[in-house]
Amino acid sequence: MTATASPPVREVATEAPCVHCGLPVGSRPAWSGAGEACCCIGCAVVRDALAEAGLDGTYDRLRAVAPSARPAGRPQAPEALALAELDRPGFVEAARPLPGGLREIDLYVDGVHCAACVWLVERLPYEVEGVRDARLDLARARLTVAFDPAARLSEAAEWLARFGYAVRPSRPEAGTASDAERRLLVRAGVAWALAGNVMLVAFALYSGLERGGLATAARWFSLALAVPAVGYGAAPFFRRAWASLQLAWRARDLRRLHLDTPISLGIAVGFGQSAWATVTGRGDVWFDSITVLIAALLTARWLQLRSRRLATEASDRLLAIVPRIARRVSDAGRIEVVEVDALRLGDLVEVPAGEVLPVDGVVETGASRIDRAALTGEARPEPVAEGGLVEAGTTNLSAPLRLCVRAVGEATRVGRLLAWVEKGEVRRAPVVLWADRVGGHFVLGVLVLAALTAALWAWLDPAQLPAHLTALLVITCPCALGMATPLALAVAQGRAARAGIFVKSDEAVQRLIEVGAVVLDKTGTLTEGRMELAAWTGDEAALDLAATLDALATHPVADALVRARGVGPGRVTDVEAVAGHGIRGRVEGVAVLVGRPGWVTVEAAPLPAEWRSALASWADAGHTPVAVAVDGHPAAAFAVGDRIRAEAADLVGRLRAEGVEVHLLSGDHPTTVASVARTLGIARARGGVSPEAKREAVAALQAEGRAVLMVGDGVNDAAALRQADVGAAVGGGTTAALVAADLFLTRRGLAPRRDALDGADAAMRTVRRLLALSLGYNVVGAAAAVAGLVTPLVAAAAMPVSSLAVVGLALLQPSFASGSSGSTAPHDS
Amino acid sequence: MNVLYVLVPLALGLALVGVAAFRWAVRDGQFDDVDTPALRVLLDDEPTGRRDASASPSTSRS
Repeated sequence: MTATASPPVREVATEAPCVHCGLPVGSRPAWSGAGEACCCIGCAVVRDALAEAGLDGTYDRLRAVAPSARPAGRPQAPEALALAELDRPGFVEAARPLPGGLREIDLYVDGVHCAACVWLVERLPYEVEGVRDARLDLARARLTVAFDPAARLSEAAEWLARFGYAVRPSRPEAGTASDAERRLLVRAGVAWALAGNVMLVAFALYSGLERGGLATAARWFSLALAVPAVGYGAAPFFRRAWASLQLAWRARDLRRLHLDTPISLGIAVGFGQSAWATVTGRGDVWFDSITVLIAALLTARWLQLRSRRLATEASDRLLAIVPRIARRVSDAGRIEVVEVDALRLGDLVEVPAGEVLPVDGVVETGASRIDRAALTGEARPEPVAEGGLVEAGTTNLSAPLRLCVRAVGEATRVGRLLAWVEKGEVRRAPVVLWADRVGGHFVLGVLVLAALTAALWAWLDPAQLPAHLTALLVITCPCALGMATPLALAVAQGRAARAGIFVKSDEAVQRLIEVGAVVLDKTGTLTEGRMELAAWTGDEAALDLAATLDALATHPVADALVRARGVGPGRVTDVEAVAGHGIRGRVEGVAVLVGRPGWVTVEAAPLPAEWRSALASWADAGHTPVAVAVDGHPAAAFAVGDRIRAEAADLVGRLRAEGVEVHLLSGDHPTTVASVARTLGIARARGGVSPEAKREAVAALQAEGRAVLMVGDGVNDAAALRQADVGAAVGGGTTAALVAADLFLTRRGLAPRRDALDGADAAMRTVRRLLALSLGYNVVGAAAAVAGLVTPLVAAAAMPVSSLAVVGLALLQPSFASGSSGSTAPHDS
Repeated sequence: MNVLYVLVPLALGLALVGVAAFRWAVRDGQFDDVDTPALRVLLDDEPTGRRDASASPSTSRS
């Protein structure tokens, strides 16, 4: 990306693993006492603490516990408005009351990603007055804080910010495990307890307890336990089966029946026959098969629900990027902090530099630059002046602005994009739908078979008819079939989540294997997503002087230089920023000039000829060249740009080798996009694409008959992500865990994308194997039942064996294995 | 075999206790996050700060 022929180029190794947690250290590493690079201060602190205590062996253990990977945190200045919100009385009142007058609140913490972060964040109670307890949920980056209402929560946020963790209030209603999920778990637990006890008794019956009072007592005991199992545990199946029956009846179409219908039929018939046998004292009881079946199915459902919740929370975090309170300028000119909902169109709102805009509006007074990266994907800040339109969710960079409110909340551009995203329901995988549809045919098949069996045994031996009919209905109850796909997909999703890949819908897993075109957005996917010092030439000391001067500027180019070089000790005087050109000043009395090469040429002297090729190659690569003059002589030049990720070329090449088209569709400046596309060898690339046009472009690709995987990292991609067959969102830095896509990748870089494709492949192979297995089991079972070979003992053996085989295969599936996903070793070799 | 009349209700009673404990644990939110506690145990330290850890109330309820 930078000219290799140019003079000494200092690269910052952003992909090197953190010595503590193994994640990439990023472009601004924290350093441990021994001088090793860590991804965050949390890791550095723990690294030092462990080394000091002689506990280096911890690392062997930590490697085994793959940390749920998160993007590396960067130290950040706490946002004043967000802090103000934490101290607002309304906010504190909305917190859950705890006994003892304490309050409890959930906060999102950006930048937590390993065990060290857990340790550091949970030290809050010992470090901040008024905080009584802090518990971090690492997988979801959710911190639960118990605090004294008299204390200031903003102090806690400031303390966390010192370590690079940004805190954001979460919406009160979102997040904690839903009641439905907990109820289902309790239901499954109760079902297992009942099933276990019924099995205990069943063993006694099988091992010879045939006649006598004790056998009768055992049967009644089983019946007593089976009643709650069927009435309480199986209630969801009956409800859904009833709904599908009504649907099928109204549509006069038996294929509308889904898998819950045969499940319910099997349970009902098995229970009815067993209860009758218990009451009359004649015939077989099937209570054990039925109760185990119910418990196993409930467990599969719970796993499914849980993996889905973890994924949907990502979209909630997205909503948290727009502040919920704003500074309103009253008629008297006073500034008051109000909730965004209280704002009316035409109100005046002040936004200081460094804050995120809370509303869409027109600039009333002030001129500044704003960072629209979160909304449009444009990495370069854009200048705005009076009369300019600005959007909520963008960041005001350099000077205070006063806005006239044009739209608030849902009506803002970001609000509308998110509404469109949220509208998309959780889609079910075609293979799940197929299994459900098979259910319809399955019911028909079973009914036909039942009629055949009845006819056969009416002719052979009418006395045995009820027993064999029940055996057929119980053994063909599609336990394995109903469990196979959801369980395999749920397990795959759980594994994926551990590797930092959150899959929202089952459909996404299946669609991933059909992808024929990958659409990438440039910012943050192929590149680091922010301005970095890419290359430099000339005098190194001059560069440090420039950084010292630039520390006083607020330009992103200056920020990049300061980040890379640090601030020197010199005293800076006579600073003058020349808009659009650069900055001049004196460092320890020495005149320093930093700015556009053209401006420096005019103000100081022409640049040396040997820099020309370097400057030209930088411009070619889409970077911004900057010159430095010291004492009136050009001393150094450097380039600032959004650098391409190291592994990008590898992934693009691999996808092309697999026959997958790669497209680049970016909101960035067309020149930048063209240069990135040229570097990576992507033929189809378009720059300057609006969010709406992105969506249309994806739709156009789909019209060509391709399944599209859209990869994006911002709100600007949200609509396209939803339009695509599979949308993969990338979480990064403070832009937060983004977007309600089908996939949500917490690790930066491109390796997780390939892991997702490979993992989906393996998961679908497992699903097909399981479906074949369970269908085979049902066919064999049905044949045996028709032949009259199935006794309760056989059913009791066959049912758990088939279920266990399905569960075992689902758990042992090779998808998203930690070896291939490399959650401890982020390098994609 | 008369011992069964004691043992079976006893087994049921134990199961009931188990179910009740499980139900409490679920309601308490102990199954909401099953990943972090595994890491916490690796790093939890004797608190060296100024406040006694035992004074901290549980925050898992929601």
